[in-house]
Amino acid sequence: MTVNNTIAHQRLILSGDRERFKDLLMRRLIECGWRDQVRMLCREVVKENEGSNINFDTLVTRVTPRARALVPDTVKKELLQKIKSHLLTQKDQ
Amino acid sequence: MNTIVSELSMNDLNNKFFEIMQNESNAEDAANFIYESLYEDVTLGFIFEFHHGLKTGLTDLIEGEKEDDENFKIVNSPECDVFGLSVLKKTQDCNCACPNCERPVSATRFAPHLEKCMGMGRNSSRIASRRIASNSREPTSYAGLLSDDEDDADWAGGSLHNERRKRRIKNNNNRKTKLHNGNSRNNNGNHNSDSNDGGATYETMTANEKKNLLLQICGVVSEHTKKLCTRSTRCPQHTEEQRRALRNSVLEPSTPESQTMGLAADEVGSPPDSSPSSSCSSSSRKRDRHRAPPKMKNKRDRNMSPNGRD
Repeated sequence: MTVNNTIAHQRLILSGDRERFKDLLMRRLIECGWRDQVRMLCREVVKENEGSNINFDTLVTRVTPRARALVPDTVKKELLQKIKSHLLTQKDQ
Repeated sequence: MNTIVSELSMNDLNNKFFEIMQNESNAEDAANFIYESLYEDVTLGFIFEFHHGLKTGLTDLIEGEKEDDENFKIVNSPECDVFGLSVLKKTQDCNCACPNCERPVSATRFAPHLEKCMGMGRNSSRIASRRIASNSREPTSYAGLLSDDEDDADWAGGSLHNERRKRRIKNNNNRKTKLHNGNSRNNNGNHNSDSNDGGATYETMTANEKKNLLLQICGVVSEHTKKLCTRSTRCPQHTEEQRRALRNSVLEPSTPESQTMGLAADEVGSPPDSSPSSSCSSSSRKRDRHRAPPKMKNKRDRNMSPNGRD
């Protein structure tokens, strides 16, 4: 199934629609305040290991799981709905 | 060649895609997969952004450095001022205690402190000027009183308040005294010259004249001017005791001995410090064998009067 997913993904990238969806997701996450929450998370992580020079990888591993839980359901559902409908409408063309 | 291959693969991809999308569950899976990848991208993007800001110091610039509250906290302890500095070295010149708040205040800062502490701004200066005005008024009145030759300097040492009161009374009495002067002049025609007026000594009068005179005026002899007091018989300058003592000494002892003695004393030249009381006492000194009680009375009166005047 992963092949099917990559095929769909690939096609989305090639058509340029992936960028559209990415912009939409980013806008939604900024609107709902998710970005500010993630920024706070990052600051907390930086403060926690203030002594050691924090690098990007530790930041990602510490922040990503918690950030994922912070994403509002409405945003996630809207995105899934839109992508799916987009994929299905593609088929008709 | 390359482009042709890609075009071919693009067609393959399209075909494959349409194939897959026949099944809706496939589409849903693909949507989930795409969403996850999108989410990863966005999250990574944010974290990249943050990391970049952190490393370049951009975050600090944008958000501003956090202020250290410690520097701005007001120190609230008895030995320190608000800056947390020890106040001990200042206590050396804090030698004035504020009467209002009982805080030690430096002498140089005492006036501003009082002004602040007692809640007086412009009022304080107004009050101060009023006080100065009231203070300066009394010395002038005092001086005016001293320059007045009619006044009995014996009693000039009283309290300032008393002096003021006396002056007021004296002003009221001025008219009366003039009247009395005229009367006395009419009654006692023999000593109506100006130099002698009111300043006549009892020694030059007859007993009848003395009696007439003393019925109308106070008659107490001034210590300094050695003149008679020409005010009414109830003049406030002298006490009833003084008047009575004088009348006792002048009228009653009409014995020739005492009169001659008094005359002799006067002719010899009374001592420069002779005063109403002393002139009385100078004559009474010689008579105190006969009349001890009036003398005692007189003496006590002299001792008491400065206090009793207050």
